This record gives sequence, structure tokens and C-alpha cells, in this order.
Amino acid sequence: MANDYYSNPKKESGRKLKSNVFAMVCLVISSLAVVILITLLATIFISGGSWLNWEFLSGVHKEDNPEGSGIGQAVLGSALICLLCASVAIPIGIGTAIFLEEFQPRNKILRSLHGLVQLNISNLAGVPSIVYGILGLTTFVYLFNLVPSIQVNKPIPWEVGATHFYQTKTLGRTFVKFPAGDREETSIKLTQNEMCVDADGNTFELKLVDKRSEAPKDPELKKGYALRGRSASRLTERSPWYFHLPLGKSLLSAALTLALVILPIVIISSQEAIRAVPRSIREAAFGMGATRWQVVRKTVLPAATPGIMTGAILSMSRAIGEAAPVLAVMGGVLGTTSGIKSLMDQTPVLPVTIYRWAGDENAGFENASSAAIIVLLGVLLIMNSIAILLRNRYEKKLS
Amino acid sequence: MKTVFTAILVLALLSLTGTAQDLSGNINIQGSSTVQPISNKAKELFNAVHGKVNISVGGEGTGNGFKALASGECDISGASRPIKKKELDKVNAAGIKFVEVPVAYDGLTIVVNPENDFIKSLTVKQLQLIFREDYAAKTWKDVDASWPAEKISLYIPGSASGTFDYFKEVIGKKDGKTLRTDEQVQDSEDDKMLVTGVKGEKYAIGFFGYSYYDANRDGLRAIPIVNPKTEKAVTPSIETIKSGEYAPFSRPLFVYVNTKSYEKLEVEEYVVFMFDNLSKIVEAAGYVPLPEAVVTAAQDNVDAGNTGTHFVDKEGEKRSGALESVFVPENRAGQ
Repeated sequence: MANDYYSNPKKESGRKLKSNVFAMVCLVISSLAVVILITLLATIFISGGSWLNWEFLSGVHKEDNPEGSGIGQAVLGSALICLLCASVAIPIGIGTAIFLEEFQPRNKILRSLHGLVQLNISNLAGVPSIVYGILGLTTFVYLFNLVPSIQVNKPIPWEVGATHFYQTKTLGRTFVKFPAGDREETSIKLTQNEMCVDADGNTFELKLVDKRSEAPKDPELKKGYALRGRSASRLTERSPWYFHLPLGKSLLSAALTLALVILPIVIISSQEAIRAVPRSIREAAFGMGATRWQVVRKTVLPAATPGIMTGAILSMSRAIGEAAPVLAVMGGVLGTTSGIKSLMDQTPVLPVTIYRWAGDENAGFENASSAAIIVLLGVLLIMNSIAILLRNRYEKKLS
Repeated sequence: MKTVFTAILVLALLSLTGTAQDLSGNINIQGSSTVQPISNKAKELFNAVHGKVNISVGGEGTGNGFKALASGECDISGASRPIKKKELDKVNAAGIKFVEVPVAYDGLTIVVNPENDFIKSLTVKQLQLIFREDYAAKTWKDVDASWPAEKISLYIPGSASGTFDYFKEVIGKKDGKTLRTDEQVQDSEDDKMLVTGVKGEKYAIGFFGYSYYDANRDGLRAIPIVNPKTEKAVTPSIETIKSGEYAPFSRPLFVYVNTKSYEKLEVEEYVVFMFDNLSKIVEAAGYVPLPEAVVTAAQDNVDAGNTGTHFVDKEGEKRSGALESVFVPENRAGQ
């Protein structure tokens, strides 16, 4: 009989025992996770803690010199990419969430389309980020091969914000440049005298000679002469708004790819926030004669903003920690000579730097890698704390 | 105040040399991860002189490097083996011409745990017994009767690496055999795992590039290898690899320079700079400099624009042998 189970003291104690054992197992498992985390953090701090100083935070990567290397470029690169990524993903994400939650169509066909979008987004949130990396590679880097890809010895298919010159070497062993005009080859042979521009913007004529002996002997004057037939190579001076298509392996490609990675997260968390706004608020607004747009704009969005912001910040901290898609789209850049000059440049980012340093055969880079991990963890901690603060602060006002 | 003064002084000095322009441009280098340290070092030294030239150095592997060369994505491609017939066909089909430049020697080092004192040296035959799929010796006793009957643990690089290819070629090429993959084998793309493995086990054996051994000497013992020609056991070192005594486990490393790219001033300056400082760069990267004659021959090829490889003959067969005997003008098949 069913009642026996509860009245039988023997079975009663067995039941309690089971419960206690289960509680113990849970405790052990959860403390195991904590122990692993603490060990991990301790090892990282022991190997990298002493490396943290201003030189490390502001420096650049140096081959064979872990002590002199730093993460200045990587921090800047991560920040810029994260910002770009957020400015693309957050507006689109919030817009999509509003559409999915507030503008549900009544038409049957449109409704099934609506359902399809919803289903897709839920699934996309679980797609591994490397898959987005490959997607970004085809979409942004190669633009589906709609335009010819970027090659080292061909002019870039389409670009704005660039001034072209040719640079060549004079008989005085100096480098000079002259405007390219409408010549497009990556390298040409000198056939005529060219009007060169010097570093101050003044122009002077580069004269061609057939033999070295025909040029003046004076080393200063030699700087105005070059051999006929000497090659000159195309030089592109990029303005800060320089842009080309396809996007190539650039930081803009990386930012757009990361935007794809976080888009489903932004949409889903924004949807949750919008759904948490009580129905009564909307109905009150409708009752006052507000249109759907006015309801969304004046009541729903202000009430949902803290929740949306929390989701946005959490998704940005995901973006800043992603290595795989960046590796696929931009390659494992550790440092660039000139830093970031335009959105078409490459840049190192923190997670890729950590990955490359950890695998370096020079053991010193392991410590540098740990120090970079501490920085990345610190950034993540700050971002997540802001998200939690926002949530706690505005949560009460809602209800 | 002082800084303002210095700034004015610097500006004044600059205006005197106003016509001088810095060399600038972009150089894209891809290819073998084994050659990457050489390119990285060359980049660092070159940038100290020409700070405005952007050089990006990738290391996605020799095969991917040749792919990038064929698709016109890179100016220079690093390779830990010469170009193969198939790759050459692709490059030719794309209408791309290159100059083949050997840059250094890399010695493959076979290592054991320092506590292992029974191995004095190894012959190629013994290595075949240990590493090949058809022999696959279970214990050290199976290799040499005087050695202990302990199980051998093998730590070998992943099959995608140039190092794996090279080792396989030396010990198994003639018979078309490859390396064993049984439960005694641990393989890893990360050389660090191999070092840790051999350090931790008395009866372990492994191999990787000489530069990697050189950077991780603690806890490892490099085994002298019996040179099949002289029958003398030779320990790998810069000297023995350079002199060719450490055979058959030393290999040349290459860069392939796109000739169209070489017309670009920044690439020309870079390649000339690399030649001028080659032995310094190579040693700093942990490799062994080539004989002077080979370097001069390569430099002449670059200057004269002599394209094509020395390692594939007219019938499309691969030429093998010592670098000095293969890298000669009559073997070059121009493109």
C-alpha cells in the first residue's frame, strides 16, 4: 500500500539517506568546479601577475623578446572592434526584437514568416563561433567573390579615400615619390622625368639618366637623379576614411563578423526585456489612443531599456573574448608596424594575442600570455559588473 | 620648456633634409610555420631601418603558402620543403613566376629522456624499427637485444606538419611506408606537448625541429644519429648540421619570391636586406646558416630574375639529395 512507504521508519530513513547523499554529491561537484576555477586563476596570477605594468599595457609585440612585449595595440584593437561590433549589432538586434515582440503581423503568410525568423534566431544562438568566422570570410572578406579578390600585384577593385603615388630610389640612395596620375600597375619602369613631391609638399623634378656616370658626382645632387628603366612601385596613401571592396582581411570584417556572432544574443535578451514589460502599461497607452509606434517608443522601450542594456553589455563581453572568428577573418596578427590608420587595417586583439603567445616556443611568452589573460578577465569583470549594476538598479522601478 | 625647445630643434633639423622620403608599402609573407621565425626576425630588423613598411607574416603551413602564392595573395611564401609538381602546375596556370631562395638549414632532432642511458646512438634502421608502421617495435628490447624490455612511448608531430612529412620521407619513402599510429603513439600539432611528454617518461622518444630542441634543452637528450655514409654517430649541433655531417636529418628551408612583387621597391629592399643579414637572421631564429656558395647562387638568381624551381625535373619527378648538388643552375627549370 502506498501509505506504508511513509509510515515505515526503515524506508523513511533510507529516503533521508538518499537525499543527504545526493546533497553531498552536489556539494562535491560544485566545490570541484570552484576549486578548478581557483587553481586556474591562481596559476594565471602566479605566472603573469608580476608582468602587469604600464610598459606591458602600452607596449607592442616584439619577436624573441617577451619581457619587452606588450598589449597596447591589442587592447586598442579589441576596444575598437568591440565598439564597431556593438554599433552594428545593437541597433539591428533591438530593432529585430521590437519587430518580433511588438509588431506581430495578422496576415497568415506573414505570420509564418515571423515564426520562421524567430525559430532561426533561437537556433543561431547555438551555432559555434568558428562557423560565423567562415561565414564572415565569404561574406565580408571575399564579398561572395562578386568582385575580384584583393591580390598583392593587382590594383584594389574599388576604393575611396586613397591617393596613389609611385615611389622609387634615386642614385643618392634616397626614396622619392611622384603622383600616379591614372596609371594603375603595381610597378612601372621609369621612362620619363617625373615631378616628385618631397616630405614638405614641395615639388622637384626627378631626372633620368642612362648610366650612373651621367649623373652629377655630388651625393646631394644625386638625389635628384634616377636610372632610366628603374622600377617604381605603387604606393597608396590612406586617409582615415579609407575604404575598399571587398573588405579583405580588415578590422571592419572582423567587427562585422563578431556582430553576426552576438546578434542572436542581443535579439533574444532584448526580446526577454520587452516581454517583461507588463501588458497593463501597453494597454493603458493604447487606451489613451496611442498608435503602436507611440506605445513602443514612449512606454515599452523606456521600461525595457535596462534589460536591453544588460543583454547588450553581456553580448559585447562575449564579442571581446572571441578568438576563433577573428582568427578566421583577420588571421593571427600579433602586431602591425603603423598601428590603426583606417578601418581597412589589420590589428591584433586580446584573445588572438593570448592564443598566439600561449603557443609560442619561447617560454617567456607564456607569462606574457597569462598577464594578457588577467587584463582580459579584468575587462570582462568590469563589463559584467556594469550589466549587473544596471539590472539591480532599474529592476525594482519596473514592478 | 625643455621639451618645446627640443621639438623646435628636431623640426629645424628635419627641414634641412626635407627631400628625404621614407620607404613605405606593404609586404605579405605567408607559408610554413617553420620558416616563420626567420621571416619574423627579418621583419623586425628591416622595420628598425624602414619603419613605414607594413610586413604581415603568416604561418598557415607550406602547402597553404604555395596556394597563396598561386592565387596572388602573397609576395613571398615560406616553405619547409621544395615546391611539388602539383603546386608548381597551379602556380604556372595562374601565370605567376617566382624565384626559389634557400635560406637556412633545419636539423630534425630525435630526443629521449635524460634518464634513458642505454641508447648511445641510433641508426636509420633502428629508427625504422621504432617509428615505422610495418615494424612498430613494442619494447626497446625489440630494437636492440641489450636494451630493457620496456614499452616504447612515441611522441610525434601531427601528420599535417612539414616535420612529420620530412621524417616520414627519410625513414619510409623507399618502401612507401608511413609512421605508426598505434596506442603507443601520442601525436600533437603543438611541439610543446611533445617536449612535455618526453620529459615526463623515462622510456619515451620523440622528434621535432632543431631550433625547438635548442630552446628547450632542459630535460631532453638529443640522440646522435649514425650517418649512413660515414657510419659515424653525429650529435645534432649548429656545426654538424652546417657541415652536412648530421645526415640524413637536416633539411633546407626556402622562401619563394613572386617576381612581379620583386619589382615593387619595398619587396626588393626587403629581399636585398634579408640577403645582407641572412646568417644573423637565421641564427637568431635558431636555424643553421647555409654555405656561402648556395647563398651567392640564390642571390644571383634573384638579381637576374632566374625563375623556376631546381627540385622538379623535366619529367615532373622530384629531385632529392644534398642542397649543394641539387641547387645548381643546370637543374633549374625556368618558367
